[in-house]
Amino acid sequence: MKSFLLSLLLCSWSLLACADPAIQVENAWVREAPPGAQMMAAYMTLKNTGSSDVTLENITSPTFRMVMLHKSVIVDGVARMSHQDSLPIPAGTSVALEPGSYHLMMPAPEQRLHSGDLVEFNLQFADGGTVRVQAIVRKKP
Amino acid sequence: MKIRIIPMLLAAVLLSACSPPQPPQLQQGTLLPDAKIIADFQLTDQNGKPFTRKNLMGKWSFTFFGYTHCPDVCPTSLSMLAQVMKKLEQDKTPGAKPQVVFFSVDPERDTPEVLAQYLPYFNPDFIGVTGDPQQILRLTRQLGILYGKSPGESADDYLVDHSASILLFDPDGNFRALFGTPHDPDRIAQDFVAIRNYYEASR
Repeated sequence: MKSFLLSLLLCSWSLLACADPAIQVENAWVREAPPGAQMMAAYMTLKNTGSSDVTLENITSPTFRMVMLHKSVIVDGVARMSHQDSLPIPAGTSVALEPGSYHLMMPAPEQRLHSGDLVEFNLQFADGGTVRVQAIVRKKP
Repeated sequence: MKIRIIPMLLAAVLLSACSPPQPPQLQQGTLLPDAKIIADFQLTDQNGKPFTRKNLMGKWSFTFFGYTHCPDVCPTSLSMLAQVMKKLEQDKTPGAKPQVVFFSVDPERDTPEVLAQYLPYFNPDFIGVTGDPQQILRLTRQLGILYGKSPGESADDYLVDHSASILLFDPDGNFRALFGTPHDPDRIAQDFVAIRNYYEASR
């Protein structure tokens, strides 16, 4: 029982493993991709609860060979995705990665992901801090 | 005095019955003042069968122009159209059920086989169309649909910028209305019914 509790504690710690505790990640999810789709997108809200600005610089994931930070914009009716080198999150604010705006774009893995699967992302910040995030695969409009 | 009012009222009622129906007030869509007749085009559906202007006739068509390598905007729009179809399911008016046609603006990568895998995920009745780039251009130019490649991480990973609007064709195969972003399934379904009723009343 004791070891179970300990492992539970360790597990929950690993889910929230924040070398950068000023960043809270909420509602992280990956859009389930239709069969044949080569690209996938992930979304989450990044909350900077600290008193200094932070900048998201790089994202990696054991599930995807590449993770890119993109932003969809619609200008004069034309949808366009642009690559973002980094994403600033000013102190005390939150930035939403959401459909039609900022998102992570990943090439779909060989093994198709299904609704309910969990995938991990490592967010690396300019100050050297990292945040590990678990995202759930969801079928969502 | 009363005797005079009655014939005037009668005349007003008769006049309003004869006057043409007024275009509906739409929530999200823009109705074209005149339906746009488009020239024929030769494309291919997801089953490898020809898809031409004729395939846009005989029923209403919601159309969207995108590509399957698009992970954000296109799945959002296709899921939204699946919701619109669900909302219209209850409508038992003959000829009421529209079709949804996804035109690829990335024919190099979107083969009929890719579209056949991809589209049923959203709705088994969705039609995917691809083919000769020149024919896609021939169609899109008439509709004001814009698209173009933009470089990605590598030569194969290019992105495609594309118009995000949903276009509605009437059962004569003519371009009738346009829905800009952001798309809301309730409003689009309600606008569709209003446009259809107006079309029926105007015939």
